Amino acid sequence: MARDRNADIDFAGPVRRILIVVLALALSATFLLWRIDSPRVERFRAALVDKVVPNMDWALLPVTKAVGMVEGFRSYARIYEQNTELKRELQQMKAWKEAAVQLEQQNAKLLAQNQVRLDPQLTSVSGVVLADSGSPFRQSVLLNVGSRDGIVDGWATMDGLGLVGRISGVGASTSRVILLTDSTSRIPVTVQPSGQKALLAGDNSAAPPLEFLENPEQVRPGDRVVSSGDGGVFPAGLLVGQVAQGVDRRMRVRMAADYERLDFLRVLRSHPAERITDAGVLIPPEVPPALPVEPEVAPETETEAGG
Amino acid sequence: MIDPVTTRRWSYRALFVALAAALLFVRLLPLSTLPAQIPGPDLMLCITFAWVLRRPDFVPALAIVAVFLIEDMLAMRPPGLWAMVVLLGSEFLRDRASAMRGLPFLAEWATVTAVMALMLLANRTILALVVVPQTGLGLTLLQFVTTVLAYPLVVAASHLALGLRAPSEIDGMGSRA
Repeated sequence: MARDRNADIDFAGPVRRILIVVLALALSATFLLWRIDSPRVERFRAALVDKVVPNMDWALLPVTKAVGMVEGFRSYARIYEQNTELKRELQQMKAWKEAAVQLEQQNAKLLAQNQVRLDPQLTSVSGVVLADSGSPFRQSVLLNVGSRDGIVDGWATMDGLGLVGRISGVGASTSRVILLTDSTSRIPVTVQPSGQKALLAGDNSAAPPLEFLENPEQVRPGDRVVSSGDGGVFPAGLLVGQVAQGVDRRMRVRMAADYERLDFLRVLRSHPAERITDAGVLIPPEVPPALPVEPEVAPETETEAGG
Repeated sequence: MIDPVTTRRWSYRALFVALAAALLFVRLLPLSTLPAQIPGPDLMLCITFAWVLRRPDFVPALAIVAVFLIEDMLAMRPPGLWAMVVLLGSEFLRDRASAMRGLPFLAEWATVTAVMALMLLANRTILALVVVPQTGLGLTLLQFVTTVLAYPLVVAASHLALGLRAPSEIDGMGSRA
């Protein structure tokens, strides 16, 4: 028996070796193809994920919820402490609420005086987190909304409170959100009271550092960090988090979004800022041909605003 | 009239693929989206090597390639590279599987560690050569350490829970002769 198998292996040996070499070559060709034509392969990857992961949906969600329930039960153990803590917090919140109401009234008054119109185009699509990146080196999540729902690469994503990441990779019914903690994530931010501009650079840690701060001495722990809208990446003024000093004495940002449990996310439809493309309006050489163009342009911008 | 040896072999092959699917599923669960302080071990790599060294016929190269290529695609790694490195590493071990059967476990563990280290190095070197942005060295080394530490546990688990045993000494001697 053993001798038979041995003979079989001896016969199949060279053929097998060739097959292994062919396999290895095919794999390296795949890798090189990815390196050369990355967008195409990434689109293929998005399509593959789009096919595979929603099929696991029936199992992914219940298991996630079950684990969440177990953790919920664990927190029952210290429910008394939590209760007193919550009562104390509620007391503080009431004071804050009073302040917020007053500020809101003041704000409304000031806006009315200035006749400011806030951007009405900032609407959102909500999605549920299906899966995470599956790798300790990548920080991303998969949402169950995709190009079918009008999601476009580059849009900002928030949870209830703060900025979470940006869309990168859209399939028909899923889309991937690169989190701000991913080591490839860079977004322009403003540190609030001092107005300092900086870059929030993800580094695979829970609190990403601020880079390119102009005057670090003007930034204090506890300052608010919001997106600055520079470079047209994100809409301006979305809350990111608070400045905190890390153990390495660098300025880091503690995220406002609850990264521990990302559940429902809002994808903000952002529209590219209007650009001035023609220079001929100030010195119009021919007035009549310029007129019929305008009605065509106007409905287009309206449909964009609607969609 | 199916040969029991063939049935056993194919059921273990199916088990290998099912284990891979289950591990990938667990990794995809969005349990915590906070970045991990210590990355967990690459259990799939441990399972592959442990099985290749014990029963090479249970883990055909095609299955290894399929499993790791899909993992590449879903875990957002550069597709193909890690699968190729794993294929070469497992082939290296497969060639030495029958020779290493008589050696103590510590020797096997040391060999596997060396192969894993070489694979890591090869992966990072190729990525550096084609100028792909890489993850931090610290995290990668930490994962290497956890993977190496997990290897004996995976071997024990496959031995006790899955009944995976190297062919008996006589059989081993027979195939070596």
